[in-house]
Amino acid sequence: MTFDSTVPSGSYLNSLDEDATAKLARALRAIFPHDALAEGPYLRSAEAIAANVSGSPHQLGVVVEGIRSLEALVGGDLTAITIDDLSGILRHLQQTEFFQIMLTSTVVTLYSDPEVWEFLGYEGYSSDKGGYIDRGFDDLHWLPEPRITEYEGDDELVGYVPPVPGLQVSFDNTKKVATI
Amino acid sequence: MSAIANDEDAVVIVGSGAGGGTLAYELTSKGIPVVVLEAGPYIKNEDYTNDEWEAFTRMAWTDNRTNSGSWRIARDFPNLPAWTVKAVGGSTSHWSGATPRFKPHEFKARTAYGHVDGATLLDWPIDLPEMARWYDKAEIAMGSTHRHGRKPLPANNNYKVLAEGAKRVGYKYYATGPYATNAEEYDGRPASIQDGFNFQGDKNKSKWSTLVREIPRAEATGLLDLRPNSHAAQITHDARGRADAVLYIDENGAMRRQRAKLVAVAANSIETPRLLLLSASAMFPDGLANSSGHVGRNYMRHLTGSTFAQFDQPVNMFRGETMAGVIADESKHDTSRGFSGGYYMETISLGPAFLGKFLDPGAWGRGFTSFMEGYARTAGLWIVGEDLPQETNRVTLNAAVKDQHGLPVAHVHYDDHPNDKAMRDYAFAHTAALYESVGATRHYSTPPYPSTHNLGTSRMSARSEDGVVDKWGRAHDVPNLFISDGSVFTTGAAANPTLTIVALAIRQADYIATQLATGDL
Repeated sequence: MTFDSTVPSGSYLNSLDEDATAKLARALRAIFPHDALAEGPYLRSAEAIAANVSGSPHQLGVVVEGIRSLEALVGGDLTAITIDDLSGILRHLQQTEFFQIMLTSTVVTLYSDPEVWEFLGYEGYSSDKGGYIDRGFDDLHWLPEPRITEYEGDDELVGYVPPVPGLQVSFDNTKKVATI
Repeated sequence: MSAIANDEDAVVIVGSGAGGGTLAYELTSKGIPVVVLEAGPYIKNEDYTNDEWEAFTRMAWTDNRTNSGSWRIARDFPNLPAWTVKAVGGSTSHWSGATPRFKPHEFKARTAYGHVDGATLLDWPIDLPEMARWYDKAEIAMGSTHRHGRKPLPANNNYKVLAEGAKRVGYKYYATGPYATNAEEYDGRPASIQDGFNFQGDKNKSKWSTLVREIPRAEATGLLDLRPNSHAAQITHDARGRADAVLYIDENGAMRRQRAKLVAVAANSIETPRLLLLSASAMFPDGLANSSGHVGRNYMRHLTGSTFAQFDQPVNMFRGETMAGVIADESKHDTSRGFSGGYYMETISLGPAFLGKFLDPGAWGRGFTSFMEGYARTAGLWIVGEDLPQETNRVTLNAAVKDQHGLPVAHVHYDDHPNDKAMRDYAFAHTAALYESVGATRHYSTPPYPSTHNLGTSRMSARSEDGVVDKWGRAHDVPNLFISDGSVFTTGAAANPTLTIVALAIRQADYIATQLATGDL
C-alpha cells in the first residue's frame, strides 16, 4: 500500500498498532482464560494474528473493525468488564470471521508458547536432554507397578475357525466356533 | 545410489513408506534394481524437531484435499482428511509403533460378521495361517517388543494408569506392546531414551521406520535409485494394456517419463487411488485397473477416538514412549456388545499444542481451559477399531480444485456406519469407566483426528469384479501393476495396519522376484 499525501494518514489500515494489539490480547484471554497466566503469551498470540493479517487487507479490516465493534458493545473499554463478561459477549460472536480468526490462530500459538508449556507443566523438547529415561518417565507412584508382559493364559480373543466350504459359521459370542 | 536412466525399463515403486520402502529393500536385496519415486523430501532423523506444529509443517502431507460426509473431520478439518507424512520413509516416520497382528477371523470378515446392511464386507483371499510366516519376518524386521525374544519396554506413567485401570475393570490382555521400538539395542539401533516424541519423528532412531532400516539398506545394495521430491502424476500403458511408464513431476517442477517394466504403487490409500484415477485413458476410461469400479471405494480409516482423563495426582503422560501400552480385551468379535468387530485401546499423549487443537476442535472458554490446566494430571488412550467398508466412502478426483502441479486434488467422502457409531459409543463409555476405576475426576471423549490409518481403496479380492488386486496385490486388470500399501486391505481389522502392510510387502516382493525370474512378468 503506497502513501497518498492527499489523504489523512489515519484513513489507512496498514497494521495493528500496539494499542490495538493489547486490546486484541484482552479478547484472546477471554477466549482462552487462564487467570494465573501472565500477559506475555496472550500478547505474543495477538502479535501473531497482527502479523498474519498484515498481508490481507480484508482480514486486517475484519480484525480492526472487530476490536472496534467489541469496544462499542462493552461501552468503550475492554478492561472495564471482567474476562467472564467479555467471554459471554464473545459467545454471541463465535460464528463471525473475526472470532474465528482469533480462535483458530490462538489455539495454535498460545499452546505452542514455551511460557504456556511451563505454566501447564509440559516440559517441551526432550530429545536434546536425553529423553525422560532418567528424568521421570516412570515416576508415577500413586498406583501399583503394573505387569508389562502379555497375559499368559489362553488367548480367548480368537473365537474363529477359518471357514471350510459349505460350512455354516455363526458368531453369537467369541467362544462359539463353526457348526455344520 | 545407482542411477537408472529414464528410458530404461525399470521396476518403479511409487512411495517409500511401510509398503514402498519395504518392497524397495526386499527387491534390491534380491538383486533387483528399483526406482523409488517419493513425493516428499529426504528428511533425516537429525532434522526432526520436538515442536508439534513445526514438525507437522515440515513432515505432513499438506497438499490440498477436500472432504465431505457426516464425519466431524468435514467440519473441523475440511482440507485435512488425513494426517500422513510426505517425506522419504512416508508415514513410518511419524507412526507410533503398535504392531498387533490380525486375528484369524479378521481376514474373513464377511463370513465372520455375516451380511451387514450398508457394508461391503468381503473375505480376504488370504488367511492368517498363510500370513503367519510373513508376520514373523515383519516383526523381526521391525523389532516388535514381546516377540521373537525382544524385551518389553518398561512401564511409563501413562501406561501405569492404563494398566491399573484395565486390571480394575477386569481386562487381562494388557502389556507395553507389541511395539516396534527398541527396549534394548537391536538391529544396529539404540534403546529408547523415552523421549516421548513419535508423531514428530524419532530423532533417536530407536523406533523402526523405513527411513532408518529399509531405505539405507536398499541404498547400500547399490541398486536403489531413490528420487525424493518426485510426484507421480500418471501411469501410462502400452497397446496391450500393460503399464509401461510413470510420468512424474521432478524436484525442479519438470514432467519426466520413467519407463517401467513393472509399477508398484504405495502412495497411501488416498494418493494411490488418486494416481490410478489420474491414469484414465482411452483404454481405461474409468481409471487404471478400475474395471470393477472399486478404485477409490470402500475407504476405511479405522474407528478411532481418544479418551483423556484427569486425576488428582500427577501423570505426566508426555514422558516416555507414546503408544507403549495396549489393551486387547475388546479386540474380539462379540456381538453381545451391539456391534461387529473389535477395538484396541492404546496409550496416547499429545503436547499442549496438539491437545489444544484436537481435544474438542473449536472448543474454547473456561470448560476447555480448565481441562488444559490439568495437563500434567492427564492420562490418555486411543481407541482403534475396525470400521466397516462402504462403497460410498470413497476417494474421487475433485476436478474443481487443483494442487500445486495443476492436478485435480483427492476428495474424500466418509460417513460413519451405524456399526462404527455403536462401537465408538461403547468404547467411549467403557474407557471412561476404566479411568474412573483409578480415580479419574473428569474426562473428554475426543473425536477422531484426521485419519492416520487410510485403507481399502484398491482392495484385494478373489474375484476381479469384487476388487482391484489379487492375493499378491497384483491388479486384476493390469498384469505388471501392483499395489503395495494399505489400499489393498479388503477389510480393516482392529489392528494398527503397519505390521500387516510390511508383512504383505515382504510377501509381495518374494512373489515379484519369482515372477521376474521365471519371465512371467
